[in-house]
Amino acid sequence: MATPAALSASALAALDHLVWRGDRLATEAAPGRPTGHPDLDAVLPGGGWPAGALTELLIPHFGVGELGLLLPQLCNIPAGRWGVCIAPPGLPYAPALAAAGVPLGRLLLVHAESPAHARWACRQALASRSCEIVLLWLAEADMAALRRLQLAAEDSGTPLILLRPAHVAAQASPAVLRLGLSADRGGLQVRVLKRRGPLLAAPLHLPLPWPGLTPRPDAPLSEGHSPGVPPSRLPPNTNASVHALVRPRPARSGPASLHAGAQ
Amino acid sequence: MACGVAPGISRASALALAPGLHLQERTPALEDAALIDIATWAGRFTSSISLDPPDTLLLEIQASLRLFGGLAPLCAAIAENLEELGFAGQLAVAPTPLAARWLARCAPGSLIDSNASLAVALDPLPVAVLGDGHDAATPASLDLLTGIGAHVLADVRRLPRSGLARRHARAVTAQLDRAYARVPDPRPWFVPPERYAARLPLPAPTDQVDTLLFGVRRLLTGLSGWLDARQAGLERFTLVLEYERHRQGHEGREEPHEIVLGALSRDMARCQLLAREHLTRSPLPAPVDALRLEADAPRLLTPPRSDLFDGDDGRQGDPGLLLATLRARLGHDAVRCLAAHPDHRPERAWRWIDPPPERNVTPAGLPDLPSSPRPLWLLATPRPIARPATENLLAGPERIEAGWWDGPEATVNRDYFVARSHDDSLVWIFQERQPPHGWFVHGYFS
Repeated sequence: MATPAALSASALAALDHLVWRGDRLATEAAPGRPTGHPDLDAVLPGGGWPAGALTELLIPHFGVGELGLLLPQLCNIPAGRWGVCIAPPGLPYAPALAAAGVPLGRLLLVHAESPAHARWACRQALASRSCEIVLLWLAEADMAALRRLQLAAEDSGTPLILLRPAHVAAQASPAVLRLGLSADRGGLQVRVLKRRGPLLAAPLHLPLPWPGLTPRPDAPLSEGHSPGVPPSRLPPNTNASVHALVRPRPARSGPASLHAGAQ
Repeated sequence: MACGVAPGISRASALALAPGLHLQERTPALEDAALIDIATWAGRFTSSISLDPPDTLLLEIQASLRLFGGLAPLCAAIAENLEELGFAGQLAVAPTPLAARWLARCAPGSLIDSNASLAVALDPLPVAVLGDGHDAATPASLDLLTGIGAHVLADVRRLPRSGLARRHARAVTAQLDRAYARVPDPRPWFVPPERYAARLPLPAPTDQVDTLLFGVRRLLTGLSGWLDARQAGLERFTLVLEYERHRQGHEGREEPHEIVLGALSRDMARCQLLAREHLTRSPLPAPVDALRLEADAPRLLTPPRSDLFDGDDGRQGDPGLLLATLRARLGHDAVRCLAAHPDHRPERAWRWIDPPPERNVTPAGLPDLPSSPRPLWLLATPRPIARPATENLLAGPERIEAGWWDGPEATVNRDYFVARSHDDSLVWIFQERQPPHGWFVHGYFS
């Protein structure tokens, strides 16, 4: 039989998500979607991307590693649902996405003529409840627009990831989670700018998966070659087919990354 | 009406009462078209419909009574729906078509469902109804009847049949026999058109989307009746806006909007929503005079089986509807999916495709691709850069030399490298193998 102290402790635990103490991570009522990066999950309230909330990723320019960070989400779109990319600044490259295991037929790319169109499309995607994740690239937006997006995300229970330029970090935002991303040797550096929890002073280093068969060429010093070595002194690549790409390779049954080291 | 203008008065007296009266010629062709529109719509209530021109529609509803929950609910549904379609009607139910017609004219609202009460209901009707309907009695016969003091149908029934026949009034007895169900009265069935087309002239030209949507809803009500009758759904329909027919010297213009529903559907709320997106997408160039709705190629649609315990339907949205909504507002080509394409040239190794229906997605069918790393972002046009420092080239070269069969512009002859940029992100760069051996950035490893 439980002691009164244990009882009160369990009762407190049940009410815990209603009260957030500033010295520890908030426990969200709805658990987050695991990001696929255990190190990142550990520092996020709810243990992942907050579902039904606005998350901001601040990037200095596109291509620092934001897609690599989100790849696990894009790979896990179930049948009959969409992953939606609204107003991406560049062209997500289909062969690389396919090789990483993204179901391309469930990934909608929405081209929007103006930020207003992009926000409208985003609200539609959230309201339809048929999306697993919504990514929106949005440079400029005022507080009211962001607030509307946050409310739409709350209503739908869908994670909304907003990708914005790094210089808006100083502006206020209704996002429950803001991460600053920058490129780093061997992966991605993540600074947690805002979360429901104490400040995280030290940036986080996340290794990102490398699409090829060879190890990541800029892996940190301890794992691979020294970055200062000229390319002629790189470990010789014995895979002849990498060099003679004009010759088609025989059909393979699975994504290339699953067969790492097989050849 | 407020000035004292009433049906039946002459044109001159009407103009004398209300000098500002706007006179409209009666157009029998439009009346016939309206009757056909209503008949098409009425297919949602019964499949046995018969036109009784100029102004009556006969529905045989015996077989539909159970589906709609009885006579009174069915009549209420018909009246309500007819109003949505934009028409006012008078309803009556009787065991014979002629009796139903007469009752609708003289005693709207009568619901006679047995032959016994039929005679009671018909007897007090005035003799003039005999002149109504096809194969009607001639005015001469009617004059004869009133001349001998017969004012209601009961009086006529008491007259000897042989006497009426001798006085060339055989049509009178024939009419009575059909109305009182003594002889059968077969009617030709109306066959709904294969292709739906309806036109709605607007009372005044407008460029207000909300007003147009009101008209669209009216047209969609008709469409929904047509689809219900066929138990079919549509994948697309066309909404045509007609402009400037009212202006002199202007050839009327029209602008078709093809509205794609994203899935086989006869959900009119969905059609209305998508029509709204289409109409609000761009401002209307001129006030709209008339709306036209055209649809063809209906396909059999089995209604979705509803869940007895109403599962988590609220959680799961309709993926097709999202796609259709986005495309309606942003344009068809603004919402697409990517697909890999087996080609060694990086800029040709992908395609835009229409989002495939889920059943056709074959995740196993990865194209035959090189296994060397490819960036997650590709630049549409390679960006020229200065020659990079050798120590920043991390992997490569990977020589891609292909495409001579597509002409010199499409030929690719490059050495690709994975390089580190100034902020430690990895980029995919190449050097042209032809002079002037320029260097370009072609992608970002994200």
